[in-house]
Amino acid sequence: MREGWYPIAACDDLPAAHIYQTQLCDEPLAVWRAADGHVNVWQDRCPHRGVRFSIGTVHANELRCRYHAWRFGSGSGACTFVPAHPDRKPADAIRATAYPSVERAGLVWTRLAGDQAAPPVLLPSTVPMRAMPVNRAEDAVVAAISAAEMPGVHLFVQPVSAGRTVIRGLAEDAALLGEHDDALERLRRTLESA
Amino acid sequence: MPGGALPEEFGERRSIKIVLANRDRPRENAISECEAAVDPIIWNDWHVVGDATELRSYRPLTTILLGIRLRISRDLDGAITVTREDHGPLLSDVRHGLVWACLGRPTQPIVAIPELDEADRCVVTAGAVGVHASAGRVVENFLDLGHLGHVHAGYLGEEAESAVAPYVVAPLPGGGIHASGCKVFQPVASPSAKSGFTVDYRYKVERPFTACLYKSAVSQPARFDVIYLFAQPVGEVETIVHALEIFVEDGVRPAELRAFQQFIFLQDKPILENQNPKRLPLGPRMEMPVLADKSSVAYRRWLVDLGVTWGTTSAQDEVVAG
Repeated sequence: MREGWYPIAACDDLPAAHIYQTQLCDEPLAVWRAADGHVNVWQDRCPHRGVRFSIGTVHANELRCRYHAWRFGSGSGACTFVPAHPDRKPADAIRATAYPSVERAGLVWTRLAGDQAAPPVLLPSTVPMRAMPVNRAEDAVVAAISAAEMPGVHLFVQPVSAGRTVIRGLAEDAALLGEHDDALERLRRTLESA
Repeated sequence: MPGGALPEEFGERRSIKIVLANRDRPRENAISECEAAVDPIIWNDWHVVGDATELRSYRPLTTILLGIRLRISRDLDGAITVTREDHGPLLSDVRHGLVWACLGRPTQPIVAIPELDEADRCVVTAGAVGVHASAGRVVENFLDLGHLGHVHAGYLGEEAESAVAPYVVAPLPGGGIHASGCKVFQPVASPSAKSGFTVDYRYKVERPFTACLYKSAVSQPARFDVIYLFAQPVGEVETIVHALEIFVEDGVRPAELRAFQQFIFLQDKPILENQNPKRLPLGPRMEMPVLADKSSVAYRRWLVDLGVTWGTTSAQDEVVAG
């Protein structure tokens, strides 16, 4: 599995009780903020019968699966309650696959593998740009970003699958967000028509 | 070619037709790509492919079974014919109000349903619903007791009563599994239920993609309403679900029974379409059952023992997937 930190959501994508669905390097992810503020980045499937966590519901610091209402705790991903057996403590092995998460510069970062402690240090005074999905492979998108002249922005890629990438960026001047959006949109069109 | 002159059953003419495409080419030399991909258990089984009561002489139906396109037509005399669009060989039959097809050589007859012979039964086909899920996932959902109080809350179960009491799972003498002693509190067990009651459930799975449920009848709790589920495997992860309801007559209108069954199934559909992987995992590592999943565990083991691979993932796939 791919090492390294990637941005996979904006902090604003996670209002209370919402489960944000995204994907990184073919791994479907369910991203949600617990009542205590912790952002969880989980593999988007319940370990019981494979139902996507992202169609479940958030209750304070737990995520409840839509199928059998099993509850999983924020942080560890450990199963806390199985309604079919309310008097039994769920086995330790029953847990969501949880990836590390860091909120930085308005973006949520995660890594699927590797041991780097944290995502790259970012400029403090920036604002997140609108995410731009592109139906092109990561390599092509990275090449296009490197060649593009976009002063005042810092761009990152989220490789979604073999043919799909999301560009996430930070802008130094909030007043120019609209222009940056337009520039990214032109970049997307050029890439997809190539 | 036989056909046409067989006894009537449920007001329909029953016919068995063997369609041979090309008599010059022996079957052994004409194994299609589809057949090669399908395990012999599923390939040689009978599958429901349509509802005979829905067929009109002026409007043939087309459907797909195990990746093979079929055409179902009814002539003005009522005789039903099923053919493969690729003109390959096929067996077909009309039984229990449903149209059946077998692409291979059947090793077992179409399932017998003795309750259909009881005079005071209301018999309804409850439609055909396409689901983007494997047939195994559909059958497993039908057997599942733990979801009733959540997915069907207020109807087939209640949040506060969603604990699953121990029940018994045993092999059927002729192959398959039988679950008994299941008890579920149901606020609205059927359209004729006036109040909630604890319903006795039994399940029988006689064929890989056929399951049936016996539940206490509302008007005569000592007898059972019977619901059959036939999962038509369209592709490995595409299924058409046919339901046949055989209820103890209690004045409920067939349209109500049908509507209720469809309402319930449409609560399951989004769950089924959000399971990952879509194929039923048969290896022990990928999904973690609890005691309440006894039927599901027995069903998966039985499919492994039979050698069913269609629409499933094996233990080996799971190792590769990590």
